[in-house]
Amino acid sequence: MGRDTLHRILYVEDDADIRKIVSMSLEMVGDYTVASCGSCAEALQAVDDFDPELLLLDVMMPDVDGPATLRELRKRKSAADAPAVFITAKVQSADMAQYRRLGVFDVIVKPFDAMALPDRIGQIWQQYLSGEYDHAG
Amino acid sequence: MVIKERYNLAYGLAGLLILAFFVWTFNLLFSIQNNWAESNDVTAMDKDVHALFDPWRNLNRPGNDVLENYEVAVHKKELRRYLQEYRQARSRLDTHDRARVDLGNYYRDMDAAALEVETLARRVLELAAERESLRLADADAAMISAAETEAATTMARMDQAFQSGLETIAGMDQILDQRLRDLDGARRAGFGSLYLIIIVALFSSALSLVLLRRTSVQGEALRASSTHLNAIVNNVVDGIVTVDERGNIESLNRTAENMFGYSSDFVIGRNFRSLVQPEDRSLYDPAEFKSESGPSGRVSEFTGMRCDGSELAMELEGTQISVEGRPIIIHILRDVSERKRSAKRLQLAAAVFENTSEGIVITDRHCNILSTNPAFTAITGFAADEVIGQNPRFLQSGIQTRDFYDEMWRSITETGHWQGEIVNRRKNGEAYPQWLNINAVKDGSGHVTHYVGVTFDISELKASERMKDEFIATVSHELRTPLTSIHGSLGLLDSGMAAKSPDKSAELIRIARANSQRLVRLIDDILSIAKLESEKIKFQLRPLNLAELVPNAVEANQEYAKQYGVHIRMEPGGDDARVLGDKDRLIQVLTNLLSNAVKHSPADGVIGVSYGRNDGYWRVSVTDNGSGIPKSFRGEVFKKFAQADGSDRRKQGGTGLGLSISKAIVDRLGGRIGFDSEPGVRTCFYFELPIMQQHWSAEAGAERFVTSAELSAPAE
Repeated sequence: MGRDTLHRILYVEDDADIRKIVSMSLEMVGDYTVASCGSCAEALQAVDDFDPELLLLDVMMPDVDGPATLRELRKRKSAADAPAVFITAKVQSADMAQYRRLGVFDVIVKPFDAMALPDRIGQIWQQYLSGEYDHAG
Repeated sequence: MVIKERYNLAYGLAGLLILAFFVWTFNLLFSIQNNWAESNDVTAMDKDVHALFDPWRNLNRPGNDVLENYEVAVHKKELRRYLQEYRQARSRLDTHDRARVDLGNYYRDMDAAALEVETLARRVLELAAERESLRLADADAAMISAAETEAATTMARMDQAFQSGLETIAGMDQILDQRLRDLDGARRAGFGSLYLIIIVALFSSALSLVLLRRTSVQGEALRASSTHLNAIVNNVVDGIVTVDERGNIESLNRTAENMFGYSSDFVIGRNFRSLVQPEDRSLYDPAEFKSESGPSGRVSEFTGMRCDGSELAMELEGTQISVEGRPIIIHILRDVSERKRSAKRLQLAAAVFENTSEGIVITDRHCNILSTNPAFTAITGFAADEVIGQNPRFLQSGIQTRDFYDEMWRSITETGHWQGEIVNRRKNGEAYPQWLNINAVKDGSGHVTHYVGVTFDISELKASERMKDEFIATVSHELRTPLTSIHGSLGLLDSGMAAKSPDKSAELIRIARANSQRLVRLIDDILSIAKLESEKIKFQLRPLNLAELVPNAVEANQEYAKQYGVHIRMEPGGDDARVLGDKDRLIQVLTNLLSNAVKHSPADGVIGVSYGRNDGYWRVSVTDNGSGIPKSFRGEVFKKFAQADGSDRRKQGGTGLGLSISKAIVDRLGGRIGFDSEPGVRTCFYFELPIMQQHWSAEAGAERFVTSAELSAPAE
């Protein structure tokens, strides 16, 4: 286990209902520990204490959107290396290109299947790990 | 024309001369011929006269021996012969009637002499016969001798008659000779004349020939040069019309014929004015072309009239010259229609260049700017004199790469053309997107002489495209967000995961329901705004009393406000506040304003609602003491999906379309919508509708409501 198992997910989403559902899904179905934040500011407050292993971010958020939030989080040591996953409905090719440039590891498309979401996150984590090993090896 | 007259004169004179020669020569020949005939006659007469001598000469005059019987017989025979010959010669003389020689007395004398000779000869013969018979009868000698004597006497007398006849003949001969000599002289004179005539005729013929030759050479030269001249005159590109002092047309060349469509025959003799459009005719005055200082062209412009009445823009150069003392005005006409047309085209092109909304840059082949139009200045901010002579690359924003420009120039070099989007920089430093179309202008041999760049600022287009894209993205996002919640919550419920925790189940169900409602509201609002914007919604316009409508709306929203711990207070207004409107729509507007106020009010807040007159309108105000509208957001308030604080929206459950819809409705009703805000203190949203007054319409017999806007319209 240890490093191979994903535990802490920092999740930023402005829509309270979606936040609740995602949190419920990840915590109840996936047994992850989720720090749910409603905005960039909340995320920045929580990040250092929480020390996330994976960042899950909504894109379209007022004031500070997903990419900007990611940039801000990257400035923190605690979140500097964690793989970032965007969970968004904004998945046109131009958007995807932008996410790639930002170094986003993967994208989950809204609306998503709440029951399958933890598995999807698990797969992404495994991919990330294998990539990291490749990189390390 | 003058040349031709000279010709005719020369021919005429030559003809007359030749005719005179003929007549003269004929007369002469005739007289010579007459003279000749007469001369022949006279010669014949003379011969015949001479023939008269012969019988007499041949008549042997009887001597003494005539009295011998033998001799008498001989003489008798001779006498007969003489008589016969004489008469023959005499009668021949009578036939020479053509000879105008009067021999009348001579004939008589000769005839008398001849008769006497004959008579005497006969008497001699008788006496000879008598003597013979006497001798035979042996008559006495006396008697014989008497007869012999008498015979001798008679013979003497006969000799005399002979002599007289011969003298007469000699006289005749003399006369005839004289006549012959005269005739001969006359003939010689005639021949002399004839020779003279021949000489003169030959000379004059030669002269005529020479003259004619020269004339014809000259004529041919003249004809040749005239043909030459005609060919030139007819083939020059300018119309040439000659007129007299009064402007009457004397000649025109083929170009002029073609210009006007008339044939020469038709216009020669008519006034030049008839070739000018009526309104320009007064401009034409042939006297204007007269010049004291020699021929000098005066140029003026007229609108000519073709045979079909169509207009012909022409330039007329008039010069008065003098030909053989007679003034002739030469008009040289140029059809300037094409020039005018091209001038007009140029004017039009210049006007387009000046007035088009597309910026135009013209450069030389080295890309140095030669000219720019006002639209270029409007777009870039650079005035023409700031950029002329420069390379347009000073407009570059630096956003495009080197490769981009290399590709652009490759296209221009290879195809003479490039078009595409490019971001340039304005004078004020602002980068702006533009559509640029560059074309190389080539000369006849295919060498590039200029480049023309046509550009239009697409920043607004881009902005509106962006807005559209954003709207679609926003709508999509707005719809997906509640769907995500619904889908997610139902998914979790379905899995039974939440079954262990009733609280969580309830929460998931609440989320699903709330988001379903939100989805419905969103769809309703999006459809509303789409319909309002495309004016597909039909308004049920009827008179409404705000004094009833506003309190009703307030009442309907009171329950909703209570959920937020907010109270709505209806402030007193008049009983009669009539407007023309659609009740449901107005309630929709009021509900939007109220729900906004409720959502933005602090707990225990109070919302004040009032209505009152304001400058011809009824104004309905909804005032709250919530957070207010930040200055930066004031321009966005009525835009779609605009919310000052987006995170708030989720909390407040709005769609972000309420104010857009409200504004669209109020606009459709001819009203106004607006707000005043002091953030943190109070915010007042209001809408206004024209005051409607009540009027009695007699003919309809029913109430008719007229809006104040209608009343204030000027009476017809």
